[in-house]
Amino acid sequence: MKSKAFSQKILKILPAIVWTIILVGAWEIGATVVANHKRTPENILPHLYQIIAAIFSIKKVANGMTATQIVLTSAQATLLRALLGFALGALLGFVFALIMKMSGVVEKLIFPYLMLIQLIPVLGLAPIVLSITGDINKSRVLIAAILSFYPVATNTLAGFKSVEKEKYDLMYIYAAKKWMLYSKVLIPASIPYFFTGLKIAAPMAVTASILVDTLQGDGGLGCMLSQSLKHAMSIYVFWLIVLFSAFVGVFSGKVMGWLEMLVSPWKRTVNAKKKK
Amino acid sequence: METEFKKVKRRRPQSIFQRLKNDAQWQAISSVALPMLLGIVIIILWQTQALHALFRTDTFTLPLVSKIGSIMFDIRGKLWANTLDTVKVAFIGLAIGSLLGYGVAVLTAMFPKIGSAGLSIIGAFASIPVVAMAPVLNNWTKDVSKEASVRSMVAKILVVVLIAAANMGLNAYRGLSELKPFSEDLMKIYAAPKIVVLLKLRIPNSVPFIFTALKVSVPASIMTAIVSEYFAEYITGVGRQIRENIVLAQYSTAWAYIATACLIGIVSYAILMIFQSILLRKYK
Amino acid sequence: MSEEKREVEIKIRELGVTFRDNSGNDVQALTGVNLEIYKGEFIALLGPSGCGKTTLLRSVADLQQPTTGDIHIQGQTPKEIRLQQKFGFVFQQPVLLDWRKVKKNIELPMEIMGYSKEERSKRADEMLEMVGLKEFANHYPRQLSGGMQQRANIARAFSLDPYVLLMDEPFSALDEFTKEKLYEDLLKAWRATNKTILFVTHNIQEAVFLSDRVCVLSPHPGRLSAVVDIDLPRPRTLEVKDTPHFTELVTKVRNSFEGGSV
Repeated sequence: MKSKAFSQKILKILPAIVWTIILVGAWEIGATVVANHKRTPENILPHLYQIIAAIFSIKKVANGMTATQIVLTSAQATLLRALLGFALGALLGFVFALIMKMSGVVEKLIFPYLMLIQLIPVLGLAPIVLSITGDINKSRVLIAAILSFYPVATNTLAGFKSVEKEKYDLMYIYAAKKWMLYSKVLIPASIPYFFTGLKIAAPMAVTASILVDTLQGDGGLGCMLSQSLKHAMSIYVFWLIVLFSAFVGVFSGKVMGWLEMLVSPWKRTVNAKKKK
Repeated sequence: METEFKKVKRRRPQSIFQRLKNDAQWQAISSVALPMLLGIVIIILWQTQALHALFRTDTFTLPLVSKIGSIMFDIRGKLWANTLDTVKVAFIGLAIGSLLGYGVAVLTAMFPKIGSAGLSIIGAFASIPVVAMAPVLNNWTKDVSKEASVRSMVAKILVVVLIAAANMGLNAYRGLSELKPFSEDLMKIYAAPKIVVLLKLRIPNSVPFIFTALKVSVPASIMTAIVSEYFAEYITGVGRQIRENIVLAQYSTAWAYIATACLIGIVSYAILMIFQSILLRKYK
Repeated sequence: MSEEKREVEIKIRELGVTFRDNSGNDVQALTGVNLEIYKGEFIALLGPSGCGKTTLLRSVADLQQPTTGDIHIQGQTPKEIRLQQKFGFVFQQPVLLDWRKVKKNIELPMEIMGYSKEERSKRADEMLEMVGLKEFANHYPRQLSGGMQQRANIARAFSLDPYVLLMDEPFSALDEFTKEKLYEDLLKAWRATNKTILFVTHNIQEAVFLSDRVCVLSPHPGRLSAVVDIDLPRPRTLEVKDTPHFTELVTKVRNSFEGGSV
């Protein structure tokens, strides 16, 4: 019995394994081809083992730090800002969605502008934000916040609107006060949608924060990325940052998923209707 | 015993506020008029420098609306050329990426076992920051052409392709697989081959989902095109011009490009909405 | 019906409800409904779709404002009764909150009322026992079958000890086997609590089997076209359905629709 369950598990993840092997294979073939034709193959496509070696290399590449040290210290600065901006944007997004739900006039006033924010390019906002705050660190946080704000606000609002009429009727029949309707029905009902917003926003906040780094040389992942590209330091710093930011982007979305499972235990249960 | 009943009323009186709330015409007018009013108020505050006082900034970093407008008019030739470059990248990338994504979705819908993992890998690609992808693709396309403008363009398009493909793939797959109950069974009863199910059932069912994907992809493609311009070798495009002008502290020119970028976003979204309302009419 | 003096619980007089549809025309959903419902009575509101039976129920529950006429429950308006939280309502769909365990769902009305924690828990346990969901108290709604969800829905409606229980086609989405089990359970709960029940349905057999009186409503415009006394002995079991008298009553109800068969 046990071995059967085990083999079923293997079967389930087999396609993922095959795909991973294909991707790694394609990368390695590409890297080999590049290595045979180029003078500086590490600029275009280094072998995976070369990148892994760079992670553990103790060679100092700049400022007396190894490549990994550079990535981690600059990541600390960038991700902290991203996290701060993300939290701020998520909080504001939720509050705005709540206000829009409470007042139809407010919703009509600001909803079209929410759409506009999404259509404005991030770096376009940087100079305004910079001139307002007068501080590059604050503007990094703010831009991450603005980017996170939109998906959280629209998704949470959609969550409030997803509540069926019957649930309002139910609360009405029991003469529930307005705050009870919000605290017992509307807000809990919006939580899954809120997390959908967070899952979209988290990688965006990371992207925004790295992007703003490139505006002004002041440490941070984006800054190191540009310097490495300009060959101011080992090119492997660049590859490490690429892999690292890809990982953080994917991982940040996953973390939001785990967080959701943590706060809504009912999501972990099996749906009776889907069982058959 | 029956005397406790009150006089029978024809219709309960309503306050003006309630009557307005229930009036469909008023609702329609206010949902256009209210945001427009807010927009006008903001522009007036901007033009009269009330906004500057509020944010403690000056007309150098935040030029007046009229100044931005006049600069846009003065450099309209350059503005148009850069706009074309950005739009080309965004839309060629969007078209190729969407087709690619749809193709993967069709493959996954027909052969779920092989495809589903492929789809989740594509999904993972979507969450890789553009800032990480753009420079890599720049390096990869060095040999595409001797012309810096051409190879830069290819690199930028490729980034947009990846973003658009992920978006379309995930959405279209839902449209191709979440069929109406029993419709798939109906096809089975008539022993319809897989290809017929695809053409008659899955593809028509996926049309609304295509628009759901595009609603995200269109702004995302423009955004991605603009961001990948920052990393491109060849200096062109609205996004790159914003950056170049900020570096040179030419804020009013940068603002002219910011306004243009917003316009591109708004206009293309509006066009998408018009297309959707025409094409999706029969789905409602 | 026996001649003994019975207490009138709900008095509906000249009730009319007019809606305005999208093209601005007035549609009469209900007109001229007069009905007196006794305390502890089981009333079925029966009719085809569009006859206004749900509108009538919603008017009693203060979910719908009547255009003409009025409703009194123990001499008070529906709004007054609602503000005292003396209604129990069972919807067609089990309107349970996904994120609350079954027991917590049943406690919801009591939370709104401000019952103490101990009292809520004690009462919810009684209700769970009554509808046979004791073992499922700590399950989430989505872990339950449709029938069990509807049981929880009924338990919640009984939890506040309401004057009147309003049920809007509660069993229409369930299969026949589940339905029959729930009929018996509902009648048992009704007998134990002696509540007045208004039960909306479009199923003639269901109406006859459950109720003391069947109020037949007809559409265009929605109106009360007949009231049929159901004198089947209580307590009723499913075998009643096989008796000739049951069949007679079903035929009688069917023939009372205006314009013959629908």
